Amino acid sequence: MTTIMVSAMIVLLLLGFPMMIPLIAAAFIGFYSMFGGIEQMDFMIQQFMAGIRPASLIAVPMFILAADIMTRGHSADRLIDMVMKFIGHVRGGLAISTATACTLFGAVSGSTQATVVAVGSPLRPKMLKAGYKDSFVLALIINASDIAFLIPPSIGMIIYGVVSNTSISELFIAGIGPGLLILAMFAAYSAIYATIHKVPTEEKASWPERWQAVRRAIWPLGFPVIIVGGIYGGVFSPTEAAAVCVLYAVILEFVVFRSLKPIELYRIAKSTGLITAVVFILVAAGAAFSWIISFAQIPQAILASIGLADASPTGVLIAISIAFFIGCMFVDPIVVILVLVPIFAPVVASAGLDPVLVGVLITLQVAIGSATPPFGCDIFTAIAIFRRPYLEVIKGTPPFVLMLVTVAALLIAFPPIALFLRDLAF
Amino acid sequence: MSELRSSRHASALPGPLGLIDSWLGRAEALMLGAGVLLMALNTVANVIGRFLFQNSLFFTEEVNRILIVMITFAGIGYAARHGRHIRMSALFDALPVGGRRWLMIFIALVTSLVMFALTWLSIRYIGSVADSGRILPALQLPVWWIFLWVPLGLAVTGIQYLLTAVKNLMSDDVYLSTQVRDGYDDVKEPHE
Amino acid sequence: ATWRYAFEEAITDVQGVYASKFKEHIEANSDHNIQLFPYGTLGESADTMEQAQAGLLQFVDQSPGFTGSLIPEAQVFFIPYLLPETQEALDSFFRNSKAINEDFKSIYAQHGLELLKMFPEGEVVITTQKAFEAPAGLDGVKVRVMTNPLLVESYKAFGATPTPLPWGEVYGGLQTNIIQGQENPLFWVESAKMYEVTDVITFTGHNNFTTAVMANKRFFDGLPAEDQALIQEAMDVAFDHIMEYQRGLSERSLEKILEQKPGMQIVRLTEEQRAPFRAAAADVEAKYIEMTGDSGKALLQQFKQDLEAATAE
Ligand code: NA
Ligand code: NA
Repeated sequence: MTTIMVSAMIVLLLLGFPMMIPLIAAAFIGFYSMFGGIEQMDFMIQQFMAGIRPASLIAVPMFILAADIMTRGHSADRLIDMVMKFIGHVRGGLAISTATACTLFGAVSGSTQATVVAVGSPLRPKMLKAGYKDSFVLALIINASDIAFLIPPSIGMIIYGVVSNTSISELFIAGIGPGLLILAMFAAYSAIYATIHKVPTEEKASWPERWQAVRRAIWPLGFPVIIVGGIYGGVFSPTEAAAVCVLYAVILEFVVFRSLKPIELYRIAKSTGLITAVVFILVAAGAAFSWIISFAQIPQAILASIGLADASPTGVLIAISIAFFIGCMFVDPIVVILVLVPIFAPVVASAGLDPVLVGVLITLQVAIGSATPPFGCDIFTAIAIFRRPYLEVIKGTPPFVLMLVTVAALLIAFPPIALFLRDLAF
Repeated sequence: MSELRSSRHASALPGPLGLIDSWLGRAEALMLGAGVLLMALNTVANVIGRFLFQNSLFFTEEVNRILIVMITFAGIGYAARHGRHIRMSALFDALPVGGRRWLMIFIALVTSLVMFALTWLSIRYIGSVADSGRILPALQLPVWWIFLWVPLGLAVTGIQYLLTAVKNLMSDDVYLSTQVRDGYDDVKEPHE
Repeated sequence: ATWRYAFEEAITDVQGVYASKFKEHIEANSDHNIQLFPYGTLGESADTMEQAQAGLLQFVDQSPGFTGSLIPEAQVFFIPYLLPETQEALDSFFRNSKAINEDFKSIYAQHGLELLKMFPEGEVVITTQKAFEAPAGLDGVKVRVMTNPLLVESYKAFGATPTPLPWGEVYGGLQTNIIQGQENPLFWVESAKMYEVTDVITFTGHNNFTTAVMANKRFFDGLPAEDQALIQEAMDVAFDHIMEYQRGLSERSLEKILEQKPGMQIVRLTEEQRAPFRAAAADVEAKYIEMTGDSGKALLQQFKQDLEAATAE
């Protein structure tokens, strides 16, 4: 059954079917072979609804809307101008700023899809204009957004903490080290890339020029203040911050700057709705697919056939990495954590592994798997928002995946990368 | 891309059916735009209520849930109409025009069949939820109301793909939808 | 045959321990296999409930409170101080209550479910940032509750500001002070790490989290008599096991919490301190009867009789 499902999915995908069809077809096959008929297939629809139920999903349309308003108005330009006045003369500076912005925004907003949109939509055109290739830009945005899984607050870590009975605070702290290490690697790669491809730099700006750029950006600088201040000040949750950003963007562009006409708001909202729909229908179809995988206990069957009981601690860590990596290639990360963590729990315990280390490693795999084809919400979001073909969106991914896998290997070899900060704090 | 602009809400269907179809397109657009704006309003209102007036709106979460379903399922029809569904087209793009056209006809027919099958399943599912009598705890509305957009959106999407197949059968070019010719470079935002 | 059993918690939590015991007994005494599906692996509570009603799952563990959208009367479990506050009375109540063992059985049967067992999961406690001993101490404190009208009513009556927040945002919400409190059974405070982001655990005695195990009725009625008997027997074995497990659970959870966070403050309200909270129950009862009408009223009446019987012993 698993073989037929996966082959059907890949064939339909390659033929060029809308991405929801391979997922739905695989689910159809799963339901049919599980129940020997179509009587129970209503539950595909139940899982469609379950897939788009989480309250945190609303951050996606909200940040898309806010980012689109900012990009079409003046806010995004002014913010980027300001940053460029400071780092425009550094080789790879724009790419490094983009990676950093993705990490920070993702960390705070808690949504990698929202990050792809909010940071990617204003910065991608600037990077293209500056001379970076689109394949590099897209891969950078997607992969840097996924670092956010590791930086608190991280919903993936919260779920892992609850399922595995591990301290969430410790997980949060342990994620920071590997997260920053990845960011540093991405930054180094950006600088090397810019040097090899001779991406031109801008002339170094003078301090008066910089000061003026800061003054022009004073209103848009309210965005980070609102998001960070609002969330850490206990005014709203990360999800709600998205809607508050919409409000602020509307006030800035329609009232303060008067850069957009009121009718534009409706148009932007409509295109936001469209992008949301094409991504969420995949989330919905993916939920039906993962439900039948879970119901048929396919992960249990596969893992039982491997025989992990006698593996060394390092062997267990490697097995966990591979399992979560593959799982997240096809299925929503939260579901993967909920299904796989309990299966691995006895092995982790008998190997005497630190559950915090395991949690960080799993979160890292989730980040890698989400940015890795064929299925990944951030890939879909990038396709929908930037309107580039699938292959173009993923073409630049391999170097980034290589770096992420390197960090995973380093983490297995030197656990202190994650545990150092934790041990310092606890 | 002048064609899209000139046929924003023009339908591929003749006569009164075309009229219904073009109004449906408008309704979908309205659901999308209004849905997203309402979601922002609803969420911000809850923040203001909680922070300024120490009073949360208990229905916020449920209203957002209703809006998400509405946006998603009004949106898939709209996306089908404008050829915006996400797909992996590398192999497809490598084919000559004739091959692409026939492959597109096949893809569109199968997709529309799947959408109609899902429409039927969703009607059955809604029926069973309605029978169960489940209600939303805060709004105290029947749960099945939330799902009403589901079969409608799926059916509209199915019809759009069926029409796409017809459009490709009747023309020499390759069409991703009734209104959009193949190729990523000639696309514009589907504004009206 | 292979039977599927879904529950609402992790395998190591109370429902998981119960389900594992049931599985163990069935598999040791028959050729049947049980597959267990912990929280989230097949969807949320409402999803697994539908799956059990449709027969995709043979067994489901569902807390009646969460069943409120389907069976309004089941929200009776949200009325504060309706369940006994001591372990002995609780044990007797769940074994002998007519409301639970007869009335609820017929209510669930109308929804295609065979009620097999109801059992308590542990005392519900309130965790907050600051200690409180009276409703006045909760003034202006935002306590996260599920969006259930009776819970909202309860916390209003307790003097707090009930605040809805999706489950995934509770931990972060407590950390950033959007909310200052939440309620859950003690074992859950430990396993979901709520103690990491709050400073005080208060035992108010207002509730004991109750859950119910059901089978799909068509499946159950279609079984041969010896299988039905085996299932009932396994349920009884699991029930005895879970009541025994419960005895020390509260202390074990507290111990673990204090080991992780020695500064955690534990407050047990005295009988006098509980009185004003107890008085709040009247408002909630009124709301419950308004929502459920005569059938709810009758059930509530039966509950009170059973409570009297259990505490009289
Ligand atoms: Na994060
Ligand atoms: Na993926």
